[in-house]
Amino acid sequence: MSEQIGINQLKRRDFLSAGLVFGAGAAGLAAGYAAVPDAFARAVYAAKSNGVENDRVLVMIQLAGGNDGLRTVIPLQDPKLHDLRPKLADMAVSQALPISDSFGLNQRLKGVKSLWEQGKLAIVEGVGYPSPTFSHFESIRIWETGDPSRRQVDGWLGRTLAGAYDSLGHPLTGCACGATDVPGALRDLQATLTVINNQKAFGFSGGSEVEAAVGALYKGTPGIYGALFDTAMATAQESVASLKTAAQSYQPKATYSDAQQLVYSSKNQLAAALQLAAELIVTGTGVKLLHVTLGGFDTHYTELNRHDDLMGYLDSAVSAFYQDLSAHGVADRVLIATWSEFGRRPKENASGGTDHGAAAPLLLMGDPVKGGIYGQPASLTDLDPTGNLKFNVDFRSVYQEILGGHLGADPKEILGAGFDKLGLIKAPAGSF
Amino acid sequence: MSVTRRSVLGAAAVGGTAAAGARLLGLDPARILPGMQSGAGGAQWASPLGSEKARVAHLLRRTTFGATLAEFERSASEGFSRTVDRLLETRPAPPPDLPAANGASAAGRLDARQLQLWWVDHMLRSPTPFAERMTLFWHGHFTSDFRKVGLRTPFVYWQNLTWRDMALTDLRSMLMRVTTDPAMLRYLDLSTSTGQNPNENYARELMELFSLGVGNYKEDDVRAAAQALAGWTEPRPQGFTDVTVDAKNGVTRRYPTYGDPATGVFVRGRAYKGGPLTFLGKRANFDAQSVIDQILAQPATAYFITRKVAQHFLSTRIDEQYVRRLGDRFRASRYDMKSLMHDLLTSPEFAAAQSYRALVKAPVEMMVHSLKALGAADLGRLAVQSSANMGQVLFDPPDVGGWPNNEAWISSNNVIARVNFVSAALQQVKAPPPAAEAVVQLDGVFGAQTAGLLNRARDDHMRWLLALASPEFQLK
Repeated sequence: MSEQIGINQLKRRDFLSAGLVFGAGAAGLAAGYAAVPDAFARAVYAAKSNGVENDRVLVMIQLAGGNDGLRTVIPLQDPKLHDLRPKLADMAVSQALPISDSFGLNQRLKGVKSLWEQGKLAIVEGVGYPSPTFSHFESIRIWETGDPSRRQVDGWLGRTLAGAYDSLGHPLTGCACGATDVPGALRDLQATLTVINNQKAFGFSGGSEVEAAVGALYKGTPGIYGALFDTAMATAQESVASLKTAAQSYQPKATYSDAQQLVYSSKNQLAAALQLAAELIVTGTGVKLLHVTLGGFDTHYTELNRHDDLMGYLDSAVSAFYQDLSAHGVADRVLIATWSEFGRRPKENASGGTDHGAAAPLLLMGDPVKGGIYGQPASLTDLDPTGNLKFNVDFRSVYQEILGGHLGADPKEILGAGFDKLGLIKAPAGSF
Repeated sequence: MSVTRRSVLGAAAVGGTAAAGARLLGLDPARILPGMQSGAGGAQWASPLGSEKARVAHLLRRTTFGATLAEFERSASEGFSRTVDRLLETRPAPPPDLPAANGASAAGRLDARQLQLWWVDHMLRSPTPFAERMTLFWHGHFTSDFRKVGLRTPFVYWQNLTWRDMALTDLRSMLMRVTTDPAMLRYLDLSTSTGQNPNENYARELMELFSLGVGNYKEDDVRAAAQALAGWTEPRPQGFTDVTVDAKNGVTRRYPTYGDPATGVFVRGRAYKGGPLTFLGKRANFDAQSVIDQILAQPATAYFITRKVAQHFLSTRIDEQYVRRLGDRFRASRYDMKSLMHDLLTSPEFAAAQSYRALVKAPVEMMVHSLKALGAADLGRLAVQSSANMGQVLFDPPDVGGWPNNEAWISSNNVIARVNFVSAALQQVKAPPPAAEAVVQLDGVFGAQTAGLLNRARDDHMRWLLALASPEFQLK
């Protein structure tokens, strides 16, 4: 693909060059002010001369709060599970949807089970990283940056946008749907991306005069946030224009519903977010990397129904999404993957819930995957000193599969190292 | 509409249009500062903070939600230090009673929208907006949400009253209070924990988010604290009432009713009985108060709170030397919040050029400031309706970490949402004040684009739109 995408072409790097000027004046700081360069003053990555050219799309679904792996992919034969979880284990096991003699999916993952039957579900067991943190925020950052050493500040998808798709220069290449701010995974100084909370509200209600006026306002804005403001506004205007065209040519071919939002802290409309994702994919906006979130997984108390409801919500939204993509004939291009900052403690607490844990399974779904179980389930008898599951697969192995196998990007460049191969993608798109 | 490097840099290089814009608005050009300084350091806002009047305006933007012109004139005539003293020493004006709040269960339930409007209205009208700004700060720090706490009890309402009352007290009292706050007992599950089989949720966040910060405790400390804190449960209701939940089928449910705001109840039977614990390096018989005292014995706590306060009220680019300077005094003052705020607001860094427009207004701040500037205190409902798409719903933070700040408020989604709020507000304001007031609200410091557009705007309506939607106004 060349640079000529759309009429309203946005030259992202121009903003960034301007932005770099703003942060550069660290000299003459008053006492008490840090001389560390801020986010806008960091060095520019070397631009890639030849970006990725294929039509693969990735949709990451964040299960925010720490998803209970032991209630997602359930060990059916392990008596230890019942010792650790007298309240939570029995129902989960007896009602699970078996996928093998030893494992079953959560009873509410009916659509995901049907993907399994079609060979379109890859489960990676025991995913985690060394010396896990039990802080939501630290662990989210580790997963978002792909760096357990905590040195990296940019997101792994942001780095992919900046490094692999640089030549596209199109703000819808990366998009967070159903969010108001940029998810850490997509964050990168060099990555232009769009954030759309609610498609209906994503447009200038004051009319074209207001839109033109504010477009003119946000140019050459001084100060440390200047480049960020200007880029956000230009991106917004560009994306609003693209979405207008997209909305006209898209009819959903599945029923998306957020009516199941019974779970107290699911603040995200997952189905609506995935419907928007489908629209962006189906209508050829050039979208590559999408991020959506479902919250409410921090199940410290009365987890029994709460977690099942969340699984049901996830299942219904993902099923509609997959059905829609299939009906539009684009499912072969799209990989859907879940992630969560950690699993939960194998032993339940007094509140009928579970505290922060470590390793857990991830689900990768869609036509591009080779169905099956990968990795090694974490042992319930060999726990770490904090009483948590030990990981067997580094989460960056999964990222590596996604980047190299599915997207055809260079995982080593983005992740900084190579990891064990899993081979869960059907036909590698790139040379990885 | 191709945006090129030349147009971005070209705009930044033009300097002189600000004064022209001001002339058109009928202001004395001598009071208008050029919006930018172009130099080796790049285009930065020209700080007007050398002038006391501008320092007062800066203070009010940071500590209130921005002022009406009358509030600003009053403070300007008092001067900076007397305004600081007045802000810190004036007792918070209590918000009006929220009808039926304590009888929430009898009335059915609290209405989330009504609760949000009740608070926004008070932000708009209170004679002591600093108290509301501090309450918002603590609401984001010791946070809880109505989704988990629920609206069948007045607990989230009580929590709001509590942080207003305690906003400028001391951290020791606040930590004990948050531990036994009914909304928090539910939100982070302490009320269902037991000493025998603890729920770690509250113990972890007490240290990670409320006091010490990650890295200043170990997993063993989380476990010990969870054991020591167990036993606190929700306050006992005053009585019960039967509420019809399904009139057609005659289904009623029994809900608790509450009287005056209360704190949690300690139930010995649920507490830890295993004897001494080792917590943050000390072996002793711990209870909630001694857990908090041991947390306060760690120097990291003073620095953690100082850093957070400084990042909210001063700048995100504060260095560790500053944090230590103020943090050591904070600890020496027995964690007195009023002293900390006084130290911060009167520190030279607060009025330094680097502090000028160094923070991004949170959505609620931006909306309240807009409505105050427009003299439209009756549009609180619009602010409540607009808040979700901007990412800040009161009583419903995204997670236990509260709201993010600064960069997080700038996204393609949020710039549209902010502009749309301004459009909607101006549609409802029949007769806005003269647009020259917008220039005062922004200290007369404009970027070249804003100045040029204000200059060319055809009427005051458009000038207000440009001013309130401008990047300048999104900053504080």
